[in-house]
Amino acid sequence: MIPNAPSHNHTHANSSANNRTLPPSVFTLPPTAQLEALYTIIRNKDTSRGDLLFYSDRIIRLLVEEGLNHLPVIKKSVVTPTGATYDGVGFEGKICGVSILRAGEAMEAGLREVCRSMRISKILIKGALKHLVYMGRRINSWDGFQDEETAQPKLFYSKFPQDIAKRYVLLLDPMLATGGSAMKAVDVLMEHGVGEERIIFINLISSPEGLKTFCAKFPRLKVITGWIDQGLNEKAYIIPGLGDFGERSGSVEQEWGWEEMVFDGSTGRIAWLARHSIFVHDATLDDASVPLFL
Amino acid sequence: MAGHHGLEFLPLPISVSAKGGIRYGQDGNRLHDAFVIGIGGGSASGKTHVARQIVKSLGSIPTVLILSQANYSFDSFYKYHTPEEIKLAFESKFDFDHPQAIDMPMFAACLGDLKACRQANIPVYSFAEHQRLDESKYAYGATVIIGIFEIILTRPKAEGIMALHDPALRDLYDLKVFVQCDSDLMLARRIARDVNERGRSVDGILEQYLRYVKPSYDNFVRPTAVFADIIVPGQNNAVAIDLISTHTRRKLQERSNSFRPKMAASALNPPTVLGVPLENDPNLMILPSTPQLKGIFTILRSKDTSSQDFIFFTDRLSTLLVEHAQQFLPYSAQSVITPVDAESHGKKLDVERLCGVSIQRSGSTLERGFRRVINNVPVGTLLIQSNSMDGEPLLLHVKLPVFLRRRSSAENTWVFLLDAQIGTGAAAFMSLRILLDHGVKQDHIIFVTFLIARTGGITTLRRAFPHVKIVCGTVDKEMREGNEHGSGRKIWAMEPGIGQIGDRYYL
Repeated sequence: MIPNAPSHNHTHANSSANNRTLPPSVFTLPPTAQLEALYTIIRNKDTSRGDLLFYSDRIIRLLVEEGLNHLPVIKKSVVTPTGATYDGVGFEGKICGVSILRAGEAMEAGLREVCRSMRISKILIKGALKHLVYMGRRINSWDGFQDEETAQPKLFYSKFPQDIAKRYVLLLDPMLATGGSAMKAVDVLMEHGVGEERIIFINLISSPEGLKTFCAKFPRLKVITGWIDQGLNEKAYIIPGLGDFGERSGSVEQEWGWEEMVFDGSTGRIAWLARHSIFVHDATLDDASVPLFL
Repeated sequence: MAGHHGLEFLPLPISVSAKGGIRYGQDGNRLHDAFVIGIGGGSASGKTHVARQIVKSLGSIPTVLILSQANYSFDSFYKYHTPEEIKLAFESKFDFDHPQAIDMPMFAACLGDLKACRQANIPVYSFAEHQRLDESKYAYGATVIIGIFEIILTRPKAEGIMALHDPALRDLYDLKVFVQCDSDLMLARRIARDVNERGRSVDGILEQYLRYVKPSYDNFVRPTAVFADIIVPGQNNAVAIDLISTHTRRKLQERSNSFRPKMAASALNPPTVLGVPLENDPNLMILPSTPQLKGIFTILRSKDTSSQDFIFFTDRLSTLLVEHAQQFLPYSAQSVITPVDAESHGKKLDVERLCGVSIQRSGSTLERGFRRVINNVPVGTLLIQSNSMDGEPLLLHVKLPVFLRRRSSAENTWVFLLDAQIGTGAAAFMSLRILLDHGVKQDHIIFVTFLIARTGGITTLRRAFPHVKIVCGTVDKEMREGNEHGSGRKIWAMEPGIGQIGDRYYL
């Protein structure tokens, strides 16, 4: 094993605030003029969806490249077409991408351009969705869908490869605001046996508050963030931020199409996961039919 | 005469260093100009015929370009006419044979640009509309230029006309030819041509001839014969043409011989023994050697890598390279309002124009990466191949974005020049020369490449063009002479290298 040699670390912290208090597990991209120009485009509220996707993809690829540099490599020699021997390195271990729905989905394209035929799982957490459609009606309240005891973000859906515990995980979510969804996602991954140190959390933009909370809870988990902003406003939006990335990058709400069918075993509900919403049905299912949906 | 154009190309361009081509010294400067032959003579004296015979006879010279000042079926350099002039022209009352009708400064400028191996945009004139069109013809890379002129060899007294006594202008011509033809023969040809090609009446032709053409010939054209180096008969002139082409060929050969030892960036040049410390060059950026980068190169270098993997990792690497190359572009401050109504003080790219140019074929392996980083800009191509005889680079095709074709816009354009590797540096050297000849500023060129050989042509390249920016993936130690697979021809290969990147990507 060759020790990891990340190209840059938190000394490059590019935020205007909280530079010195940045946790050691946080890594940022070098704060170059060209990176700042990319962020200026995606921050602008007048930027078209096409440009938002194009320029955020550019940042995401750089973030993934940086994230991968934290994975181990092993020595490997190869013979070149000219017959010479080259002492290089080989990639070690399997990786799995996990995107936190629904905004994390927007990072999948960039991930795939860096990681060839990468397995990408999805994870859906309450709070990551704005509203539900229940029995054909749109519901803005999450009553009945949140964990009543803790009022904390609640897992709705997850689907991982069976060997997830043996893989390195690149966890994708473009925004780290309060850190609630990300922490819940890490909890779920750890419940599936993934070690904290094998998870790399990749996000476009983060708040100092969210980073602090997140890193305090998972000190051995590496966070690659493109930019650390000033902070959160009273509505827990990142300031100056870039708005709701999932909403801006996603298709319009009318384009509902059922993508997945989800069964929430604890409540006996089936949810159809569409692009922007969940369709939920109360249903009494016999045991035999449950695996069909999962 | 069908297809009778004011501007003619032989199949296209040039060799910048092969026999008869334009040569450059190790300092990147041109060692000599294109060879310019000026042909004068009366209207219908057979100038175009003489020019074409010269072209034919120079068959082995890579490119010869005919630039015609005024020519009946596709005239190039008539001035932009006023509405009154157009009216006169449609009534056949406009004197096309007067020196004033021709845009002399434009003609001289185009000829001067071509002679100095810069691009020229030749105006296009429509006889149907009796007007210069907005479009123009792009010309670049001629080794020999034959300028056919009606009156540029005119007397100094003729007002508004640049005269031969102007030394700067006289210097344009390496050989001045006057085509001497009897007036009756010229008239006979003129009548035959105008009746057949333009459907005009003999009366009209004669009237125009007597009123304009003959006085113009007598006053402006015929007297210029004294300035000519050689006077060629208007018919039965095969011997004269042979003399001209022999002379031209000999002149080109003399240049070629005298400059050979000084030639730069030849594939035959042995690599320098010691590499230069590229790491200290502020305009040369080598990607930081991260574990992932080493892993990517390990896959690309391995001869056992599948074609699918090779393509994927080439694209990934080119994306990274072009991303890193962005640091050489200028940025300025910009503030925007974010969707949460907060103001953000950031930056924006501050360039007027941007484009890519890939050196075919292997340079196009960087195009997908380029497109992932920079969208909505044109990518031009330069097709450069090694001459199979001596290994010297040969430019076979130039296809540049429109704003590089025009000098005024080329000067404000940033160019990403893409090629897979810099080994001998011959193709890179030639491509940079082409961009500079078009007016692109040296410090506006960013050369993006996967691999550089430390002991290869990079030394010459850095010395000749120190302000050009270079971004590369890694630097290999050496170049080794070997035989090309298949042809058995001698080539310089990089060690350990990646092999023929273009072949591995496309085949």
